[in-house]
Amino acid sequence: MATIKKLAFVVRSLPYKTEASRLAFTHAIASQTVEIYLEDGENIEPVLCFIGNGVMNCLKNQQAMKHYGITSNEQHMKNSLLLDLKVMICKEDLDKFGIKEDALIMDAEDIGGETKAQIVPYSEIQKELEAVDHIQLF
Amino acid sequence: MKLGVFMSSFESGSDVLDRLTAEKLGIILVGNGVYHAAVKDSGKESPIFKKSANFYVLAEDLESRGFNASNVDSRAKVVNYGDVVDLIFNDYEKIIWI
Repeated sequence: MATIKKLAFVVRSLPYKTEASRLAFTHAIASQTVEIYLEDGENIEPVLCFIGNGVMNCLKNQQAMKHYGITSNEQHMKNSLLLDLKVMICKEDLDKFGIKEDALIMDAEDIGGETKAQIVPYSEIQKELEAVDHIQLF
Repeated sequence: MKLGVFMSSFESGSDVLDRLTAEKLGIILVGNGVYHAAVKDSGKESPIFKKSANFYVLAEDLESRGFNASNVDSRAKVVNYGDVVDLIFNDYEKIIWI
């Protein structure tokens, strides 16, 4: 019987001043590469959740490469979607900051991704947190 | 005194900022401090704008986070690194970082 471990990577940190939110992306993406360490039938299913200040990581047009010489969290977000990671963005926190959907990275179509990010009420994120095996807060 | 205050956090810094007085006060928003000028939390402007000060926002940090000058509160002037160096050397005698 297949055993799926669900992991939630919850991002509440602002981007760039610290590595925290970037680590959430890279850990979530890396969780897709651990298959070689797993037994047959085992798998990992990550979900990325953005709450509080963390929703700022989801803004479009981040020019971190231009100014800091580093890959932007925008690119990490797109890579996450390209790998079909489930991405949930808290609606209440977007509303709190007055951020509209058109300001957000909702897909990775430009690099061939098919999965879209979801804007959901916090109650949906809460359900996801209850369903996972492990929660990591960044 | 002429005091320049760098703010690199989205926290209000009110424990220090509320008490500061200066003949000329400049608040320079860098790093995550740019959010004070670029977003309204729960529809409210950042409390830092209650201070009587000249406000500046570093363009590089603004743009890295997905914003541009059109997102910035009109009381804040968007400046680049060169402008910040000029502010430090020409406009403010003392500089602190909160």
